[in-house]
Amino acid sequence: MESSDKNTKTSEAPTSIPIQPGLFEYPTPEHSHPALLGSHCQTCGRKFFPRRTLCTNCFVDGRMEELKLNNRAVIYAATVVHIPSPAGIQAPYAYGYVDILTDNIRIFALFTGDNPSSFHSGQEVELVLEPIRTDGQKQQIIGYKFRPV
Amino acid sequence: MGKNSRSLDINLDRYDKVTFMQEVYIIGAGMTQFGKHPDRSLRSLGFEACLNALRDAGVKPKEIEAGFCGNALAPAIQGETGVGQNVFWEVGINGVPIVNLENACASGSTALREGWMAVAGGFYDMVAVVGVEKTVMPKGTMLNVGAGEYETKLGEVFPGYFALIAKKHMERYGTTLEQLAMVSVKNHLNGSLNPYAQFQKLLTVDEVLNSPMIAEPLTLYSCCPNSDGAAALILCTEKKAREFMGKKVKIAASVLTTGTYDNERDITGWEVEKRAAEKAYQMASLGPEEVNVMEVHDAFTISEIIHYEGLGLCPPGEGGRLIDQGTTGLTGKIPVNPSGGLLSKGHPVGASGVAQVVEIVWQLRGEAGKRQLKNPRVGLAQIMGGNKEGDTRACTVHILMKD
Repeated sequence: MESSDKNTKTSEAPTSIPIQPGLFEYPTPEHSHPALLGSHCQTCGRKFFPRRTLCTNCFVDGRMEELKLNNRAVIYAATVVHIPSPAGIQAPYAYGYVDILTDNIRIFALFTGDNPSSFHSGQEVELVLEPIRTDGQKQQIIGYKFRPV
Repeated sequence: MGKNSRSLDINLDRYDKVTFMQEVYIIGAGMTQFGKHPDRSLRSLGFEACLNALRDAGVKPKEIEAGFCGNALAPAIQGETGVGQNVFWEVGINGVPIVNLENACASGSTALREGWMAVAGGFYDMVAVVGVEKTVMPKGTMLNVGAGEYETKLGEVFPGYFALIAKKHMERYGTTLEQLAMVSVKNHLNGSLNPYAQFQKLLTVDEVLNSPMIAEPLTLYSCCPNSDGAAALILCTEKKAREFMGKKVKIAASVLTTGTYDNERDITGWEVEKRAAEKAYQMASLGPEEVNVMEVHDAFTISEIIHYEGLGLCPPGEGGRLIDQGTTGLTGKIPVNPSGGLLSKGHPVGASGVAQVVEIVWQLRGEAGKRQLKNPRVGLAQIMGGNKEGDTRACTVHILMKD
């Protein structure tokens, strides 16, 4: 009984899971690109990432709509980290802040590509979803990254 | 005096004058040596700091009416909560209100502010403040703080955030790698004169630049170490202070601010710090040019340069020039981090904010040994804690005056 439970679990366990639910969506037949998911207040126009339910700008409730962020961004600042992260990411790895084009939102972003040192402010990049590490159950943890256009 | 200081970007008229019931004085200060204390517990370190502060003030534990303890990481590292009750009990302070405060690197200074508010508000005549922390862990141990934040899950680390700030400051203002390194060189020179400091060795600019890379452009010696240690203060009303025979120091300002987390903010400066500084100068009725000594939060070299700007020692972008000119050295016009700062003295997170004030008290009383400055009358301590959305969760500024 126990072992069959285990087997069921193993067979049903996803091979990959997102780092956090609701942060992004995979490409769909309607949208060929992956998208980060934010919120857009229909009263004051303020945009947020990640999603939130209350607009802290105008404090009007129930006026938030889901926003699919533009998949293109410009790097605001970039660095290369040479120590492994406690979250389990191997060094060296590149990250920084990117300004999402047309949405006026700056977000934290990992960078991906052959050369971590090549990223610099002003560079145009685009969103990709990639494994960032493997967890204890050998599941791939999927995060969002940006790569050179 | 003190109205619209000549230093750019500091506006003292922006805030209402703060009034409180009691002036608050510091009559006792003490700390442990900062560094590695693998065989000692949090309560042992906190006990030593409290005992030193009580003996310095010449007061007995039973005279203390409340205790405030700053600690950031004991629940995460030692699995310990209620550190304040343990520490104060050990030194004989019990039966009175004890509060534990966590505000990341500003935990200790937040405890000081809460202690100040309690006395300034007329609730108590005499209170004790302690900051205590043990962050030295076996090599390779990773502390996963902020595990609930998506940035942390993606791999953000503290040195990386400050590396981005350094990159942006260099790009925007032309701040150089050498200027960044000189902050560490200066603070290690100061620390070599401080028996309480973790590092007692001098560093050269080349040694800082050539130490292992942590997050570009910040190298190992551009970052403060993990440390164990504790620091404590005894606070009281003016009336009580008058009964005290030793040299007393007045708390002329105590300010705590939190970030606004504005998206697309300029990361080459902290609005949260400027706001805290302006409120503090206004509360103390003076400007930055009247401050004789500062202890600032140099967790990374770039931080100290930006604090020069945020605290009004120079206009935005000119922090690098200040270090070039030696303005903030021990013999400069406004010495910054005479204790060695976090870079050399060490950074037991929850203790650092209290230890900065211990150093200012010693400097104002003329008891700072080989690193003693020439007759300083006004000192300032600044520290901030935590990162959220590229902004700071807590920032405190305290201004102290020789009585």
